[in-house]
Amino acid sequence: MSASLDGKPRNGRLESFTYDDGIVKLFVIATLIWGVVALFLGVTIAFQMADWHVNLGLPWTTFGRLRPLHTNAAIFAFCGNAIFAGIYYSHQRLLKARLFSDTLSKIHFWGWQLIIVSAALTLPFGITTGKEYAELEWPIDIAITLIWVVFAVNFFGTIIRRRERHIYVAIWFYIATILTVAVLHIVNSLEIPVTLTKSYSLYAGVQDALVQWWYGHNAVAFFLTTPFLGLMYYFVPKAANRPVYSYRLSIIHFWSLVFIYIWAGPHHLLYTTLPEWAQTLGMVFSVMLWMPSWGGMINGLMTLRGVWDKVRTEPSLRFMAAALTFYGMSTFEGPLLSIKSVNAIAHFTDWIPGHVHSGTIGWNYMLIAGILFFLVPKLWNTELYSKKLAHQQFWFVTIGLVLYIISMWVAGITQSMMWRAMDDAGNLIYPNFVETVIKITPMYWIRAIGGTLVLTSFIMMMYNFWKTIKNGKKEAPVVYEAYALDSSSIEHDASAHRKLEGWPMIFSVLSLIAILVGSAIEIIPSLMADKYVVKIDAIKPYTALELYGRDVYIKEGCYLCHSQTVRPMAHEAVRYGKVSNAAEFVYDHPFQWGSKRTGPDLARVGGKYPNMWHYKHFFDPREVTAGSLMPQYRWLFDSKIDYKTLPKKLEVMRKLGVPYSQEEIDNSVADARAQAKMIAEDLAQSGVPMKIAEMDVVALIAYIQRIGVDYGSIPEEE
Amino acid sequence: MKQEVLKHFDVPWLPLTALVLFVVCFAAYTYWTYRKANRPHFESVSRIPLEDPSIKTNDLQGKIS
Repeated sequence: MSASLDGKPRNGRLESFTYDDGIVKLFVIATLIWGVVALFLGVTIAFQMADWHVNLGLPWTTFGRLRPLHTNAAIFAFCGNAIFAGIYYSHQRLLKARLFSDTLSKIHFWGWQLIIVSAALTLPFGITTGKEYAELEWPIDIAITLIWVVFAVNFFGTIIRRRERHIYVAIWFYIATILTVAVLHIVNSLEIPVTLTKSYSLYAGVQDALVQWWYGHNAVAFFLTTPFLGLMYYFVPKAANRPVYSYRLSIIHFWSLVFIYIWAGPHHLLYTTLPEWAQTLGMVFSVMLWMPSWGGMINGLMTLRGVWDKVRTEPSLRFMAAALTFYGMSTFEGPLLSIKSVNAIAHFTDWIPGHVHSGTIGWNYMLIAGILFFLVPKLWNTELYSKKLAHQQFWFVTIGLVLYIISMWVAGITQSMMWRAMDDAGNLIYPNFVETVIKITPMYWIRAIGGTLVLTSFIMMMYNFWKTIKNGKKEAPVVYEAYALDSSSIEHDASAHRKLEGWPMIFSVLSLIAILVGSAIEIIPSLMADKYVVKIDAIKPYTALELYGRDVYIKEGCYLCHSQTVRPMAHEAVRYGKVSNAAEFVYDHPFQWGSKRTGPDLARVGGKYPNMWHYKHFFDPREVTAGSLMPQYRWLFDSKIDYKTLPKKLEVMRKLGVPYSQEEIDNSVADARAQAKMIAEDLAQSGVPMKIAEMDVVALIAYIQRIGVDYGSIPEEE
Repeated sequence: MKQEVLKHFDVPWLPLTALVLFVVCFAAYTYWTYRKANRPHFESVSRIPLEDPSIKTNDLQGKIS
């Protein structure tokens, strides 16, 4: 006989059960393997930014292709496997039930690994949608959806078979994660296939940007934050052997995050036609967004009260404490960066990757390490091989991360100040973009060194766990006993919310409604984009060759270093030209505004330089821009344009609303050949052989020469 | 750019509705959470992660699930 939550004795039926820890072990091993891969890729691209030679001159080792692989590996492979390991371990224990189905668990594990391998086999070959953090092509998108459904069925099935009536707050965070990630992934991945490896986004321009960054923002929120908070609410109390400091605060934390985070905070109110009072209220709530985040951090850290001595000696607690501290720091910095005046400085600079890594390394890596130091000895029935090595690892990762963050702050602010520096006559003090890059290159070296320390720390952890697991003892699974969830566990006089916590499905529906309300704020304006974006007749669709060249641009990941949007700021208008207008992107499936300027903005690059300049630039950027960090793209001079794909590409674009006539589609190959021949003839005047007309570089030049030309040609007074 | 675009969306009722909804919900769950009467319940619930089920040492007799 035991007591229920309200203290009354339980007399129900006792049931025996075991936990499925085999699946947790598999996800732990996958976390370690993909973690080192993600970090190795990160260090590689960090060195590529410091010295272009590290690109090795090969297509599949070049920055534009490896960077999406790094982000996907870090987010979905490393963090993804860690989330599944932590959730499957804690979910069973919080509900006193074995996972719903061993078969679904295995399908989930192997399916997810297959998706990761598919990403590793496609992204280096330039098979990408060109949408940041959602680069995987449509067959993999479908696979992700299916595996996510398998995970959801396994997760909710376990809830149904539980022996604990109350759904602990960690599980609320897991529920929010599962539902929101499903909504985000499906809505943002809507696309029409051209081939098995190529598709075009259903959305264009502004609409695509709104949907993509609704996804991008919330992928951080609901893949890198909410599941980890759920894990924190289980593993920190467990490792400290103390209940969470304030369960009440955790409830406020949960609902505030679910409501506001998906809404991206009320900073959206600042740019609408809302009355002044509502904008002010919105700003107040924007500041209040700090409260739930810091509430969560304080809740986690205060749980450690009374065991601070163990933080010094226990690796799991030490990493968890550091993770919570970095969580507090990055959730302070995030809202700060969304303030318009701060954003004007930080956007497009290295400050943003610095901020991102304070979250992903400081919060995610550190918490994962803390959880693994707790889990691995327990799962393999042994003691940790070396606490000393774990503490050394802690200092490696901490120093590496601090070097990373500080170097990126310095690089970001320095470069931004140089971009905007103007003299009294209104001229740019640093008109040559590359000057601002050369200035911050030492910071790229420091970042690369910091990243190497982080990678080294991870390898130390792998070695520590390898030695630990080798000492592991095989034991028969432990059989547990708990009361079945029957009428004896029902609290008849419970309040409404308490009952709600015992109704997981209704709770899930309410969470989903909260998420959808928040999403509506971003999605409804996106759907209404056609109404508010006035079309301009001068903006014409791309020619067949330009469209092909645009696909080469996407394939090579050019958007990762070059933006295509001129902000309404004096220094940007002077440096790049006419400020961007929403109407000029109406045929861009997907949009290519970018989020970082390692190189200059390209919104007005069309016609700025002769074809030969671009030809030389792609062959060796330093021939035309001394000091450039851009890789060479020499394979574009050997790879042939696949002309036969053009009619299908134009046809799909027409389905998406781009006004191509049947005649243009039928003549697309001939038109493209004719345009390529014109560019080749121009290049031939400088001695380039005419056979270049067959090569990808000509299509890319055609696209680059078209960017911004239509809108740029409209006189300012119109 | 996104902010510049949002400026043109003339649908004040949309963010306003969400704002009001959020303020009301926030007030409601904060009031409910910090009600004195709920305190003992939260204290017991917060111990769930620490409560492991009892280990059955003998062979299985009942149904294992």
